[in-house]
Amino acid sequence: MIHLTNVHKTYNNGAPLHVLKGIDLDIEKGEFVSIMGASGSGKSTLLNILGILDNYDKGKYYLAGNLVKNLTESQSAEYRNKLIGFIFQSFNLISFKNAVENVALPLFYQGVSRKQRNIMAMEYLDKLGLKDWANHMPSEMSGGQKQRVAIARALITKPQIILADEPTGALDSKTSVEVMDILKTLHSDEKLTIAVVTHESGVANETDKIIHIKDGMIGQITENYNHDFWKASSSK
Amino acid sequence: MFDTILEILGTLKRNKMRTALTGFAVSWGIFILIVLLGAGNGLMNGFTKSSEGSSFNMVRVSSGWTSMEYDGLKEGRLILFYERDIQYIKEHYSNFVEEIGGEVSGGSGTTSHGQYYTNTYLQGVSPIAQQLYGVKITKGRFLNTTDIKEHRKVAVISSDMVDVLFPNGEEPLGSFIQFDKLMWQVVGIYKSERSNGSEATYVPFETYLAIYPNALQNRRLRITMSIKNLDTEEANDEFEANIRRDMGRIHRFDKTDMNAMWFYNRFKQYLSMLNGSDILSNAIWVIGILTLLGGIVGVSNIMLITVKERTKEFGIRKALGAKPHQILSLIIFESITITTLFGYIGMFCGIGLTEIAAAVLEQQNAGADHVSFADPTVEISTAIAATITLIVAGTLAGFIPAHKATKVKPIEAMRG
Repeated sequence: MIHLTNVHKTYNNGAPLHVLKGIDLDIEKGEFVSIMGASGSGKSTLLNILGILDNYDKGKYYLAGNLVKNLTESQSAEYRNKLIGFIFQSFNLISFKNAVENVALPLFYQGVSRKQRNIMAMEYLDKLGLKDWANHMPSEMSGGQKQRVAIARALITKPQIILADEPTGALDSKTSVEVMDILKTLHSDEKLTIAVVTHESGVANETDKIIHIKDGMIGQITENYNHDFWKASSSK
Repeated sequence: MFDTILEILGTLKRNKMRTALTGFAVSWGIFILIVLLGAGNGLMNGFTKSSEGSSFNMVRVSSGWTSMEYDGLKEGRLILFYERDIQYIKEHYSNFVEEIGGEVSGGSGTTSHGQYYTNTYLQGVSPIAQQLYGVKITKGRFLNTTDIKEHRKVAVISSDMVDVLFPNGEEPLGSFIQFDKLMWQVVGIYKSERSNGSEATYVPFETYLAIYPNALQNRRLRITMSIKNLDTEEANDEFEANIRRDMGRIHRFDKTDMNAMWFYNRFKQYLSMLNGSDILSNAIWVIGILTLLGGIVGVSNIMLITVKERTKEFGIRKALGAKPHQILSLIIFESITITTLFGYIGMFCGIGLTEIAAAVLEQQNAGADHVSFADPTVEISTAIAATITLIVAGTLAGFIPAHKATKVKPIEAMRG
């Protein structure tokens, strides 16, 4: 699903900052991986490149068999819309749109009719237990509800991969467990490919594979067989 | 498109006060533009109404006193025209002269009808005097060429004279009035223009000269004519200069002596007025558009602020698949919506005000002799021009902020 070869990224705002120093990474279809690392290690930069939200300077990046290189803004937008579902730490819901409108938004950019968009958005909200909150504004919802709306929004285009940037970072531990349970269910039931960036080992332990990044390079990749460790420890 | 409209309406609803203030600036701009254009039209219409019944292609040539020595003759000589001068101009300037005649004013005296009398003076004129002076006939007719040819003793008197001379409702037309022991048959009544003083009694020029053959020895003949084929100010200037040159040669005065003879050229006045109205019209457009521009700059400014405030939203949209042109059109349509919606409100108010003013003025001007301001409304073509201006302005106002919005990187949202 994802194949990176010797990917480099340098920021040139002021003094050049070489953030990614030759990343080689493969994420197979249906994998549930986490990317861990300390602040400034380059994990968010890597996620931005995976999500085609940022460009890389050198190397090669294939997403679902497509070489992601020198894309126009419109091409990038189309890839993001069709292949990727995003889940952000701060939810990034549009504040003046209600839950159903937020969930339906990616379909608007696919040219789906308003009626069809709303039907599908309701379906996904229902899946995530938010049917009754469809017409509520984000400001009326709890953090967990907002993140579930964001997950519904990420799923509505039936993407090939879900990229989650600190999805539990703004949530309490109980809600974090609920969100991770949703992601795990999506992975197990729908065989979705999911990549989560996190600095919480508890979250990382919920995934199948933990990719450690250190100083802009892949440090260690750990196969994880202890999924329930974090949930067990947090419920104590 | 419907979705875009809903998006725009949603944004406008969220920022009611800001939208209202921005819209007011646009409304005010277009309102002022319409009112100014209406005012300009009102002035022009007033002039046109006042000039009704008058023709613009009229020239009157009067003689004067020389102000320059010429050919051994001293300055200060009185120049007098004669009938032969009329004939000369008629023959030599037939390409430019449509009709020509003379005009001379007699001394004032008593006019009577039976026991009733008033003061007046005879003015021997040609039929074209009616257009030259804008004489409004209320009953009967003005003098015609047959009156001139047959030396008829007919007169056109003022309505005020009718009131005095025919107080008992007797029919004035066909009746005879007496002036200087001679009887004149009334053939027409014109609307009085003066509130006091004696008014002219128009009689045929030829008849006047037949009765007073020595009149031109001490009274100045004025030559009146209607002109043709002189469409520009330059052509009129040349025409006048040529006549001045010829009359100078005949009456022995310098052709550059501007006091020896005078021209009253209504066509040149008309051209000057047209020129003035063009300047006025352009000034009104400039002032109006500058006022409108103030509103447009306001819209652009607000849109820039909006883009700044919505940076995160645009980032999210782009992350979710919005293409640059979709963001661009969202901002531009929002800008066009504000300018067009509020522009129309301003235009509606402006047109409403000018229509009300037109209705009030129509009542006030009814029956008025002189109208200086009338029908201050704008034409549909002007409204269309203003609409196009609004849409173009709205697009321009939105373009820079919209372009800025397309440059928002989706990564901004991730950092939000």
